Amino acid sequence: MAAGISGKLVLLWTFRGARAHLCCGRNPFYLTLHDKQQTVSLYRSLCSRHDQNLEPTAVREEMVGSLVNMGFTEPQVEQLTKGALSSRTDRAVNQHLSTVSALVALGFNPSSVLKILDKCPELYRVKGVLLQQRVDNLRKLGLMEGSLQRVISHYPQLLTLPLKRVNGVSRFLREKCLLTVQQVTDILRDSPSVVLEDTGRLEHRVQYAYFRMGIQQAEMVRSGLFRVSLEEVRCRHSFLERRGLYQTPDKKGYTSIVNPKLKDFLTVPEDTFLRKVALATREEFEVFRKLMEREMQGEEEPESSNSEEEDEDGYESEDRRRMSYRRRKK
Amino acid sequence: MAARTDTRILLRKLGTIYSIPRRNRMKAKWATSQPKFPSTSLALQNFDMVYGTQLGDLWPSVRVSMLSEQKYGALINNFSEAAEVMEELQLQGALDFVYNGMVKSRFKPARPHNSGTLGYYLMDAASLLPVLALDVQEGHTVLDLCAAPGGKTLALLQTQAIGHLAVNDFSASRTSRLRRVLQSYVPREYWSEDTVQITSCDGRKFGELERDTFDRVLVDVPCTTDRHSLLEEDNNIFKKTRMKERQKLPLLQAQLLVAGLEAARPGGEVVYSTCTLSQLQNEYVVEQALHVAQEAGITAHVQDLRAFARLFAATFHFAPNPRLGELVLPHLTANFGPIYFCKLRRTS
Repeated sequence: MAAGISGKLVLLWTFRGARAHLCCGRNPFYLTLHDKQQTVSLYRSLCSRHDQNLEPTAVREEMVGSLVNMGFTEPQVEQLTKGALSSRTDRAVNQHLSTVSALVALGFNPSSVLKILDKCPELYRVKGVLLQQRVDNLRKLGLMEGSLQRVISHYPQLLTLPLKRVNGVSRFLREKCLLTVQQVTDILRDSPSVVLEDTGRLEHRVQYAYFRMGIQQAEMVRSGLFRVSLEEVRCRHSFLERRGLYQTPDKKGYTSIVNPKLKDFLTVPEDTFLRKVALATREEFEVFRKLMEREMQGEEEPESSNSEEEDEDGYESEDRRRMSYRRRKK
Repeated sequence: MAARTDTRILLRKLGTIYSIPRRNRMKAKWATSQPKFPSTSLALQNFDMVYGTQLGDLWPSVRVSMLSEQKYGALINNFSEAAEVMEELQLQGALDFVYNGMVKSRFKPARPHNSGTLGYYLMDAASLLPVLALDVQEGHTVLDLCAAPGGKTLALLQTQAIGHLAVNDFSASRTSRLRRVLQSYVPREYWSEDTVQITSCDGRKFGELERDTFDRVLVDVPCTTDRHSLLEEDNNIFKKTRMKERQKLPLLQAQLLVAGLEAARPGGEVVYSTCTLSQLQNEYVVEQALHVAQEAGITAHVQDLRAFARLFAATFHFAPNPRLGELVLPHLTANFGPIYFCKLRRTS
């Protein structure tokens, strides 16, 4: 088993190396005279257009050169250097370049690199070493080539977060919400925004789904529960429950009616939800949403006023006992 | 002969029981270990079965409304500074829907005014409809057969037109509550002993006690108060121990309505009202009571209330095509009710 894993890892590293080699290595070989000329002319035009005060330093020259080497076209280079060349220090320029090259090394093509940086300009400020560390960490969390690229292009903010945060959320999901490693990977891939969420609220949502709706962890991951806020989950679930269309399964998992599938009513747009599942009008749901907000506010207030209630304690500890029981069973 | 063999069999059976040594006898199951179902969920189950078939497609909407927060109305007390209170409530976003002072929104409990009477009474806005349907005129003698806790009685008194009002409720404690409500809302000079007479006797006997006396009779009978049964555990009629009482409700309701018909004078009008959706306690009771009254020599006819319902259709959600009377269905956009009311006119 271990041998198999390590074999896979070695294979992976080889591939990664090859890819990096390909990316960096392709251009010097195929750099033609024409390309060189283009670089020089581009650089000149850029410097003349942007800032006459700034002396063209070696670093800036190098930057444009390497960007073209990486396969960026003229307008793309212009867009990328717009911020960098106006900054005063060479270090910032270097920083820009290292971010871009790290993204290119991940296998993104120039246009998607631009898109990612557009979506999340904070990435410019992340050091190259840190960026590499974070990418490696994501790989360690189980995001393979392909899904890694997908996550980063969808949610580049993931790379701006410190390692501690990402690892902490992943550990939290495993230990507190009793998800398997594979399920955590799936969550990171399909709804990476969980890493920014408050862990308390995250736990509340998982517990709501588990105890109140009677959903197992595997189903939670599959249905996209982590993409929807607790309020929305509660609102839609209570609406269905009070209409008599959803029942919490008993301890053996039986219900007297057939519950609608979670993914059919959680992640679908409101119109579809009302038309196909709830069979209600929009006005009704809007009123209900307001009533739910009021109910939730009403619940929070008494809790804060007398938090040391014995009933609450008993309920909590029972939850924990059940959770730990499940853990032992696994 | 048959009796003798029966006793012999019985004796033999007893013998077998007592021949088993005590240590081998099965112990009966303890009541505490039997599964406990909260009355509210029993009520919900019952409603799902009964109303699911009765209302069909309308039931989910009604169900979600009954399980959600109810909307309140405030009955403005004309005996305090009514105009002032109205203004205050309208500032809170309340809306007047009857000319004479009903508003709706979310209200705080009423505070006593300078004069010592409370400004408004909080109640389900729809429960005012039976009172309005009763159509009390100047100088009428009116009977409220099951009056406590007093919301409808108070609404009756707000008209300030009643010549004589007889208020009755079976339970003494509820009567005292009713008395408290009246005391805190109505100044003493408006309800002396000869205008308002509060009694606490069995409503079913009213037909014999005061036959053919009243111009208007309001029969607001006890029922499986649907909304209350779904939300509150205490005093819930769906408790296992109150099963018998629940099953006898339609009978009691019919008897009360007959008594009400008897107490009305010929030409007088009777309004029967409940706060349940169940046909068994609404239409069927009215039919049954009419039938029984006919046998006792009283004829009464059901009055058409469709025009009345149309008047309030903007505020309440009425059931489409009712067989007899009118039924207010709770709906999330107008979360009042359920209230059923039916108006009868005694002809002889």
